[in-house]
Amino acid sequence: MMTQLTSAQAVILAINSFAFGGLLFLLSAGFSLIFGLMRIPNLMHGSFFMLGAYFGVSLLDWGVNFWVAALLSGLAMAVIGGIIERFLLRRLEGQVLPQVLLTLGFAFIIADICLMVWTGDPWQPTAPPSLRGAVQAFGLFFPLYRLAILAVAVAVAIALWIMVDWTRLGAMIRAGVDDPPIARVVGIKVSQLFTLIFCLGAALAAFAGVMGAPFLSVYPGLDFEMLPLALIVVILGGTGSLLGALVGSFLLGFLYNFGQAMFPDLAYVILFLPMLLVLVLRPQGLFGRVVA
Amino acid sequence: MAIDALGLHDIDAFYGDSHILQKVSFALGEGRLLGLLGRNGAGKSTCMNVVVGLLPARGGTVEVFGGDITRLPPESISARGIALVPQGRRIFKSLTVRENLMVAARPPDPGSRHAPWTSETVFAMFPRLAERKHQLAAHLSGGEQQMLAIGRALMANPRVLLMDEPSEGLAPQIVADVMATIRKLKESGLSIVLVEQNPRLVFDVADDIAILNGGRVAVVSTPAELTRGGIDLTQHLGVY
Repeated sequence: MMTQLTSAQAVILAINSFAFGGLLFLLSAGFSLIFGLMRIPNLMHGSFFMLGAYFGVSLLDWGVNFWVAALLSGLAMAVIGGIIERFLLRRLEGQVLPQVLLTLGFAFIIADICLMVWTGDPWQPTAPPSLRGAVQAFGLFFPLYRLAILAVAVAVAIALWIMVDWTRLGAMIRAGVDDPPIARVVGIKVSQLFTLIFCLGAALAAFAGVMGAPFLSVYPGLDFEMLPLALIVVILGGTGSLLGALVGSFLLGFLYNFGQAMFPDLAYVILFLPMLLVLVLRPQGLFGRVVA
Repeated sequence: MAIDALGLHDIDAFYGDSHILQKVSFALGEGRLLGLLGRNGAGKSTCMNVVVGLLPARGGTVEVFGGDITRLPPESISARGIALVPQGRRIFKSLTVRENLMVAARPPDPGSRHAPWTSETVFAMFPRLAERKHQLAAHLSGGEQQMLAIGRALMANPRVLLMDEPSEGLAPQIVADVMATIRKLKESGLSIVLVEQNPRLVFDVADDIAILNGGRVAVVSTPAELTRGGIDLTQHLGVY
């Protein structure tokens, strides 16, 4: 049942794991912030990823530069996410089940729209020209584009960490989570900050969708393939914790790649078993705070 | 007649179906200190929640320097120059001391005559907070948390400061420190509402006294008049 790997295969798998982990971080950082700070279980996060990827492939089709396409797609999704949060989710504040149903409903709607607009055929855009090919080191070839994904994810992680932990804006967000009514009394516009977080999370998911398109390709069903992965990352790492999302993403990246290669029959067991263990043994996640 | 710093006019407020405040009216003059007294459950904190916008009044109006703030959300009321030192302190526990001050910072009104509050001036007033500025607020003692709650309120450079039982749960020496701070703030010209259960703490700093009983204003007077007797304080305040 177990497939033996050569060391060269293991290295390639490790690189793929890091790249996939980076992608998962871009996807789940926003999911974690939205879930951890606003307590909204956003079941359309995978749809943001897929719709963002489709926006990206269309923009690339029109000859837009790859990075510009990724940024524009993120921007478009920020606007869409902002509208959904401001006008619909905001009315369901604190009501978890209606939020689950609303976001799930939107996930189905987005899936249908994507099928209608982009058809059922998969799209696989090429990586930007400067990042095609591979670098050679230690007698092995490292695909450049996957390393680039890793680099972008690390850069985004650092930027988010600085924003949340070291700026006044981040302190205001944390104050709004600590004690929303008193934060408002102190003059913090909590509701606008939360909308901002939601937009940021949506934008990151869409950006990740475009980044991932050259190696995952984009196809119907991608949304509900990514959503459980984001859930597992956040449960492993702990909600609201960026460090947790980062560690959880790479952990899952490795489990996913090595699990599929070594135990192809047990791929889902390997993905979900750690999640179940964490849920039972350490419900706050590896890096989550215990809520008093 | 001068415009009041804060005026409540016929305020009615409810929690669910219970009628907590019934036609409550009182006024705070500019630069004065109003002691708001009353037993547990008399409606003192509810008054504060109505003023800062956490509990919408069902009837009546709240005015700040003549401007109606009754229907404004809390963050806009804060921008009008009202700051609250909440009951139970409610500092942001997962933020550091410095961050607690930073998130509340607001530049003073252009017309303000007072020297502006900044984290430096707050730390000068509470040196103990300066020593702990990089610690998480959760790790502060009760007295330090109270100082932080006061400092946080001052960072907004308010024109009216509401203090909801700042002596609650503190050791006598710390209570004396807090009262000394309140006296200093009053001397700086700030208009203050001091909510207390214990009249003795209030009488020597307050200019005016309002006593709430069962959600109504029972007495409006001055400390001098009340200590002279004539009004049965135990009737409104119980044993103190």
